[in-house]
Amino acid sequence: MTSFPKFSRIGHAGHVNRCLTGLPASQVEAESTRMAVGFYCLGTLDLLGALDSKTTDTDRKNFREWIWEQQTHGPNGSGFRPSPFATPDSLSEQPYGAYNGPHLVMTYTALLTLAILRDDFLRLDRKGLIKFMRSCQKEDGSFSIVPGFGESDLRTIYCAFSICHMLEDWSGIDVPRALNYIETCRSYEGGYGQNSFCEASGGPTYIALASIHLARPSSPLTAGQRSRSIHWLIHNQHSSGGFRGRTGKEADACYSFWCGASLKILDAEDLVDSNAQFIASCQFKYGGIAKTPGHDPDPYHTYLSIAALSLYPPHVPDDESTAVLQSWKFGGLDPLLNATTETVAWIRAHVPSSTTGQEPQ
Amino acid sequence: MTDKPPPPTPYSERPEWSDVTPLAQYEKANPLAPILYTEEYKDATGYLRAVVQSGEKSERVLQLTEHVIRLNPAHYSAWQYRYETVVALDWPLDVEMTLMDELADKFLKTYQVWHHRRLLIMCIGLSAAGRELGYIKQILAQDEKNYHTWSHRQWLLAFFNDEGLWAGELDFIDTMVNRDLRNNSAWHHRFFVVFQSGVREGEEDRERIVRRELVYVKQHISLAPNNASAWNYLRGLLDFNKLPLATITPFVKLYTAPLPAAAKDIVDVDNPPPGQGAELPCVAAVEFLADIREEERNVDEAETLWRSLADELDTIRKKYWEYRIAQARSV
Repeated sequence: MTSFPKFSRIGHAGHVNRCLTGLPASQVEAESTRMAVGFYCLGTLDLLGALDSKTTDTDRKNFREWIWEQQTHGPNGSGFRPSPFATPDSLSEQPYGAYNGPHLVMTYTALLTLAILRDDFLRLDRKGLIKFMRSCQKEDGSFSIVPGFGESDLRTIYCAFSICHMLEDWSGIDVPRALNYIETCRSYEGGYGQNSFCEASGGPTYIALASIHLARPSSPLTAGQRSRSIHWLIHNQHSSGGFRGRTGKEADACYSFWCGASLKILDAEDLVDSNAQFIASCQFKYGGIAKTPGHDPDPYHTYLSIAALSLYPPHVPDDESTAVLQSWKFGGLDPLLNATTETVAWIRAHVPSSTTGQEPQ
Repeated sequence: MTDKPPPPTPYSERPEWSDVTPLAQYEKANPLAPILYTEEYKDATGYLRAVVQSGEKSERVLQLTEHVIRLNPAHYSAWQYRYETVVALDWPLDVEMTLMDELADKFLKTYQVWHHRRLLIMCIGLSAAGRELGYIKQILAQDEKNYHTWSHRQWLLAFFNDEGLWAGELDFIDTMVNRDLRNNSAWHHRFFVVFQSGVREGEEDRERIVRRELVYVKQHISLAPNNASAWNYLRGLLDFNKLPLATITPFVKLYTAPLPAAAKDIVDVDNPPPGQGAELPCVAAVEFLADIREEERNVDEAETLWRSLADELDTIRKKYWEYRIAQARSV
């Protein structure tokens, strides 16, 4: 009998908890995306059902306060900063300047993280948020990461669409123009590239498919497009069970989510073989999940691996020990918003513009 | 990694910066995932926040932003301020590009280095583009599948859409494909150049182009049959040009069964056979033939082929092949 490995839940919770406490100087590049690091860490605890046991009420209150401190208002509307890295102490209460305004991707992760922390969203500047997204949209339909500057690609379209979906208000952005941009990213292989005319890759493909389904759920793809996308995605599954992000590349744990969630969105989840053994092999012995076996773990791969397992829980043989069986139990995940079912329910009850002014439940 | 040089003198101890008061980062208690900055980083970013607030745009600001960028190449605000300083000072763009050649090489996987290059090239115009293609080629020689670098090339070609720039692309792709027949980035780039970016001088006869591409991809499949990139290119080529899959049935069939003992010596450019020692049957060919049979409404034969994929040749996708059978049966 080949025994099924155990999923190291406690170790993974420990890994993200350590990152929440502090990152070493070598991780300095994360400071312009710190909000996302927070999302991957707290999201991991949410997926593991460990938020209440691994953090205290005070911790969660402090996290919420820190996130709200990143909400900032100014001439281009309101949103969230990645962190205070570009903001001087003396300027904290002023409208943001040209170089320390909100960031579109970080705004999306801030909203999700606040929902994970069950915030009441009473402080959310919804009108400002709509104005902010409008000021990020470019002529070609894509969005820059900050108004008027920085790279734009499919990631920012997804973030804008997700925010509109959460607010239940799409009035701030030009949806057809953005959908046209997505179309220019579609590749002959059946996936999508990060920018117009670029090579099909797992991350952008998830982003594109989720965006199209958020914006146009009744007629997302033609039948031909759908079958070509399924073809490409399913061929990205490697014989190890892991997924690769591009044709001919090696498997990487994060693509278990990007490709797996894409197939879920396309209603093709029944075609996927289990990728649990591959993810199990990427577990680091002291906690956390790495991109491939033998690499260092990080919150990004830890979160996305567990999100993939939530979509595709493995069939663990019944004769395994209760401890092993229990270690592979996960709750549901919404593949479009990339959050647990409970967190999405919280978003629906608290984020839409129509909920403004309601008392928290 | 090479030995790190000792950190430079802090700005706070440099007489030429004594007129600037650094601004600490705004961070109240209980931060989320705080980063334990080095002293060098804290010092440099303190001065960056100060010059950004005062609006200073000067040569020393270029030095300061370069310093911060070297410590943290993802610091997009430092990049933004640097770009605006370059523009305000009318700083020589060739000097800036030379620095960027070093930084892009060093921080290959950072969005910002490529974005900054793009902004500079838009300022310089077409005259920068030829050199840029050469630079990209050099970078891809070290990291053949680097996504940012390929994206940058696609952007550059599409943005200028200049005959002179397009002219060398097929030769460049050949170099990359010959180096690694399975480099999907190179195959993708070929599809972009040949089909997705308009029709160029000398390529107006599309039937000829399609024939040329069919010969090209078939030759490469014959060199390495188990190459998903080439098979995907072939599918894309037929689909884009609205040709039936059965256009290439004789070719595909050469790859679905073991090689006959006495292979013919006749060179047939339309149907190059697999080389000696090829691993056959080739999974992608079996799948292709099944799709041809489905297209021909010969579901029985398609099912036999799918069944062999599900049970023997490609069992990780068993559920997919069974789904294909069920789908074909339900029509």
